[in-house]
Amino acid sequence: MPALLFFLFLLMLPISLQAEIAVIGNLESTVKSLTKQEVQAIFMGRSRVLENGNFVLPLDFSELRSEFYYKLTNRPIEQINAYWARIMFSGQASPPLSLTDELSIIHTVTENKSTISYLDLKHVDHRQVRVLLILD
Amino acid sequence: MKFNSLSLVLLMLTCVQVAVANDMAARWTVSGFGTLGMLGSDSRELGFTRDRTQVSYYNSLDFTTDSRLGLQLDVNLSDRLHFTSQFVFRNHAGDFWEQNLEWGFLRWSVHPDINVRIGRIGADLFLLSDDRNVGFTYPWMRPPHEFYGNLPAYHFDGADLVKTINLGEGLLRLKVFAGYTQNELATDRSDNIEFIAPATGGNLIYETGNWRARIGYSYLSGSFATTSAYDQKLDLLNDPLINALVPNANKLSPYFYLKDSPIHFFSMGATYDDGLWLMHTEASYTNTNTVLAPSNASSYLSVGRRFGKFTLYSLYGLAYSFEKTVAIPTPLIQAPALDELYQLANHTLNENAIHEQSLSLGVRWDVFNNTAIKAQWSHYWFGRNGKDLWHTQYNDPSRQSNIWSIGIDFVF
Repeated sequence: MPALLFFLFLLMLPISLQAEIAVIGNLESTVKSLTKQEVQAIFMGRSRVLENGNFVLPLDFSELRSEFYYKLTNRPIEQINAYWARIMFSGQASPPLSLTDELSIIHTVTENKSTISYLDLKHVDHRQVRVLLILD
Repeated sequence: MKFNSLSLVLLMLTCVQVAVANDMAARWTVSGFGTLGMLGSDSRELGFTRDRTQVSYYNSLDFTTDSRLGLQLDVNLSDRLHFTSQFVFRNHAGDFWEQNLEWGFLRWSVHPDINVRIGRIGADLFLLSDDRNVGFTYPWMRPPHEFYGNLPAYHFDGADLVKTINLGEGLLRLKVFAGYTQNELATDRSDNIEFIAPATGGNLIYETGNWRARIGYSYLSGSFATTSAYDQKLDLLNDPLINALVPNANKLSPYFYLKDSPIHFFSMGATYDDGLWLMHTEASYTNTNTVLAPSNASSYLSVGRRFGKFTLYSLYGLAYSFEKTVAIPTPLIQAPALDELYQLANHTLNENAIHEQSLSLGVRWDVFNNTAIKAQWSHYWFGRNGKDLWHTQYNDPSRQSNIWSIGIDFVF
């Protein structure tokens, strides 16, 4: 019986790991919130400028990248990679720079007004960064 | 011209080095893509190639047609200035290093919505634009043969300007370009032909949701840079002795030259991808006034569906030429040399149409996030004199062919 419970727990594990993801920006930025369409346009390389004329620089967080793009576009990461391969290898644009740890993400976003990135909502310190959109 | 193109890229590389030395914050990125592909054919008489730039080996088993390795260097020189260079190791007729240097350009963001590129740039004549070397970006083993097989230009030396406009829910991209393209084309014989053309054009791309649509027009003033061997063969047609044995042979001579010949290329296409279903379609019309490369129309339609990591797809392609038959004078006497001349003239001027249809079925398996394995079977049907996208012998009677292929695509 304990083995069965453990197995059931394992089955549930991926669901419990599904985090709410917060799209974050600099506290001093004039951008207070973003729509899902705006975040899509920025992270898919279609636009680096918001409607108010502000320039934005997206940063990927490698640990959450698959989950973030799935929540944002409803597509698995291999489709996102194929999409970026088309953009990148046709010399149009480069994909967002990818950082590997949360501290680097937070540090970069707090230091640069124009950067936006994403974190697990549970790990967001509202004194450091502004939440622009929550993806669940 | 080769010297000039390479010099331009080398000059830009020097500028990049100076700029990088001045700006330690410049970010270098090296990325790449590749395909290891194997194809088999049921015909030893028909040489299959992806397009006119490739040499065919007439083997029943071949690794050179689809296999390739591309390396790309990207350097952010500043917020507004970016350098990109790409080299693709692949089967290409002519000068390997010069022809396979796909790009070397500076991209300048004049304004967040306006980009200007200068240098060696991808030839933007079609929907797959300049990613036709990157198998990982599309479902098939190779771009649709009927449409892409006839398009030799992968790059040109010049400049383009792109203006991006937010329109409704989507994004409209307007592009104009001008430059000079020079491509080595493989022929059915051992010699290559160099195609050179000033080129200019423009296109509109609209992207919204799951759709991407494109319409474009390009104008080229095409010439074949003939070699001395080619000229010597053509001199034979003006030889008095030949004309005594083959009456009016000299009247054929002008047909073999392409000099500043206007080429109008119209194309439109659309793709749809909702994550589950995907569709690609394109149609083109090429207008020429030369019998060497007659006007033609081509199109394709592909539909696929994803099942988890697997994508099943079908592809139908159609190409049709509007060729004019040239009357080739028959030799008055039987002689091997004269017969060869007759066959060569007939093959070049009359067996140069594209009457081809094909149906392909295939599967793509995304094994890893950056790696896909593909398998594809294609059946081709040909009309009379319609195998110009294939390498053939004189008077080849084949009307059908099968090509199967497997391969692995990756990006890094």
